[in-house]
Amino acid sequence: MSDTTTRSGALVESDRTYAPHEAVLEASRCLMCEDPPCNRGCPADVDARRFIRKIRFGNFLGASRLIREANLLVGICGRLCPQEILCMEHCTRAELDSPIDIAGLQRFAGDVELGTLAPLPEMADERGERVAVLGSGPGGLAAAVELRKAGYRVDVLERSGTAGGLLTRGVPPFRLDRSFAESELEYAKRVGANVLPGRGDANPAELLESGYDAVLVAVGLWKPYKIGLPGEELDGVLVASDLLASVADGERPDLGKRVVVIGGGNVAIDAATTALRLGAERVDLCCLESHDEMPAFRSEIETAQAEGIEFHTRTMPAAIVGEGGKVVGYEGFGIRWKEPGLLVPSNAEKIHGTEFRLAADSVIEAIGQSGGDRYDGVETDRRGIVAVDPDTMMTSRTGVFACGDVTSGGATVVQAVAEGKKAAEGVDRYLRAREDGTSEGGDRR
Amino acid sequence: MKKPNLAVEFCGVKFPNPFVLAAAPPTDSAEMIARGFDAGWGGAVVKTLGLEHVEVNLVSPMMAGLAYEDKNLIGLENIDLISNRHLPEVLDEVSDLKKRYPEQVLIVSMMAGTEDEWKEITRRVQDAGADMIECSFSCPHGMPERGMGSAVGQSAELTFERAKWVVEAASVPVLIKLTPNVTDIRPIAEKVKEAGAAGITCINTVKGLLGFDLDTFAPIPNVDGKSTAGGYSGPAIKPIALRFVSDVAKDVGIPVAGVGGVVTWKDAAEFLLAGAEIVQVCTAVMRYGYDIVEELIEGLGYYLEDKGLESPADLIGRGLPNIVSHEALSRDYKVAASIDEDLCVGCGACIVGCRDGGHQAIEFQAEAAGPDGERIPAVDDEKCIGCGFCRTVCPVTGCILMKEREDEA
Repeated sequence: MSDTTTRSGALVESDRTYAPHEAVLEASRCLMCEDPPCNRGCPADVDARRFIRKIRFGNFLGASRLIREANLLVGICGRLCPQEILCMEHCTRAELDSPIDIAGLQRFAGDVELGTLAPLPEMADERGERVAVLGSGPGGLAAAVELRKAGYRVDVLERSGTAGGLLTRGVPPFRLDRSFAESELEYAKRVGANVLPGRGDANPAELLESGYDAVLVAVGLWKPYKIGLPGEELDGVLVASDLLASVADGERPDLGKRVVVIGGGNVAIDAATTALRLGAERVDLCCLESHDEMPAFRSEIETAQAEGIEFHTRTMPAAIVGEGGKVVGYEGFGIRWKEPGLLVPSNAEKIHGTEFRLAADSVIEAIGQSGGDRYDGVETDRRGIVAVDPDTMMTSRTGVFACGDVTSGGATVVQAVAEGKKAAEGVDRYLRAREDGTSEGGDRR
Repeated sequence: MKKPNLAVEFCGVKFPNPFVLAAAPPTDSAEMIARGFDAGWGGAVVKTLGLEHVEVNLVSPMMAGLAYEDKNLIGLENIDLISNRHLPEVLDEVSDLKKRYPEQVLIVSMMAGTEDEWKEITRRVQDAGADMIECSFSCPHGMPERGMGSAVGQSAELTFERAKWVVEAASVPVLIKLTPNVTDIRPIAEKVKEAGAAGITCINTVKGLLGFDLDTFAPIPNVDGKSTAGGYSGPAIKPIALRFVSDVAKDVGIPVAGVGGVVTWKDAAEFLLAGAEIVQVCTAVMRYGYDIVEELIEGLGYYLEDKGLESPADLIGRGLPNIVSHEALSRDYKVAASIDEDLCVGCGACIVGCRDGGHQAIEFQAEAAGPDGERIPAVDDEKCIGCGFCRTVCPVTGCILMKEREDEA
């Protein structure tokens, strides 16, 4: 489905969606398995067999609505899911020829409702309790909608001035047009969630004191790591998440002709392919991992390769070189692992004689992000990852829950959705137990 | 391979091969038929002609296809009429064609009203040099409203009367093309035989209504918001055609030109087995072009060679003794489904089919999956009644076989 020839160069989404007859055709390849393996691959419990059947027999709206019940981000996950390691991984059809393009069909289903108002879900009777959700990314949104469905009053407090989290400001527009996130935000609002951007001061303890009955932390990992390289202060050194956010906001920064990206994850790939679209003539991507060890999705790595990104795998940065306060180059060297399988800088050993230097007008760091917040009474590790009970998603502080990247340490959008749903369930169980005066679901450990 | 000799004789007329273009759009002009003959067709039935005074007022569109998943034409619906060309002009072309293609058989299809008209057109057609005449008693749309077409073929009485008129006037063999839009074709075919016709062509199209436009509620093909039931053809109607061909061949005993849904040489061979002596093709030619006759000729040739048979005639009617009444079928023969675990991909389509369409006899083996975690269905011999449905849904050819039960043989 991905068309790299047109994708390259444009800052708008250009992947093609199935025409209706093409979707039916693809769906008709589905073997409609008994006990379908695809269904076990989805963290958000989307019933793939059933929505594919709906498409096959012409019930497109039914497909869209079925997916939405399990995962409100229908079209978004159809675009962003690493389907090759999820639903499609065990597709039985692969035994015959190739797996069903489940992601492509989900995307088709999502697009069926484009420009229309998705029908609202069945809502429980309104309850009095108020829940604050910190963060309006995938996890926060999924939780907010589920909590509204359960009847709670929900305020979604977003730090940034733009709601949507990484959906609006973290994924480049050519992979996901911002309008998709906006329409899901609109859906959450129609369901009755108050989405309040620009509320960076929100704090669970204060929120509980001010009258909220529960708080769900879904702030993601927003604080980028810096490597601490010589030359990091130079003009022309930037952090990938800032670059992606500014491009999402409509800015078109000039990165110069030569760009070096440091990092091997999806954000690094996104930064590299974005740099190409901002006019860079050559983009070098330097990462610690080998090609097969890179944490980025295979499909994204392949796209980057097809677009001409130069990969320097199993290398480590040494310094950023400057002249007159401005970046002019990047220096690194090849490494081997001291112990196999431990993919961290401290386990890297320099291979002498592999030192190299790249010309650079900009250097973009994309080596990961950490949780940037610490909350009173909420157990958090040094990377800012919040500890939760995996069954209830409650943190070490009663009434405070967490979900998404801030608990998982960084996973997929669909995983965040799945956790958001689970956290909403945890909140519901907690509040009902409290109401009943029992301790069921309320105690932790 | 030497060029196969597929020559056959049908109603006393020699055909270079049994593949004949049916009366339809592909035979509406000498230019088209000539291209068909050049491609290798053994004969052609010129699109149905009427006398000069018969008004042929066409509508558009007049065709629409039935799509199913990846196939856009499993069936074709048409509300076309007989040829709208001028009779003398076509008859001149027939004379000319016959001179240019003396080996190929030229049959002319025709339709008329009164006795005088039938006899007049018969004489004019055979004077033009037609090798055979085919009378359409079978077009299901348009013409019946004027007392012609299938209005004739649905009545044994009218069929007998009109067939007799033509036979009386004809000096060349007469074929009567019958309609499948009857409960039982045999009494009508008997009347054709009694009238002295040389053979029967069957079937014409099946009368049907293709569908509706769900926005405008107009039937399809949509002629300015309206439509009418038409003639349905193509692969979808092959089983219906085989039934009528075998009914006539087995119980009436008159030579049959088989037609209805033939695409491949295998289809053609089946028509021969069902008793057809030649095979007519239309929809597949419209869909794929005249050239498909190459595959019909070569494919049937290889098949005959493989079977050690000399001629297509050796196949004619060979399947008929095996068509018996339901009552006469063996009750001692018992089969059960058998799944080849090496071929099985583990989709479980057979499980769903058996559970919801059968006898709940197949389930995934309860004990752990195979070495790669694969799922293997198992048949419960006690519950399996050998219906064979599982085999029809299995995506892997040869994976499910219906094997004779040893215990009850």
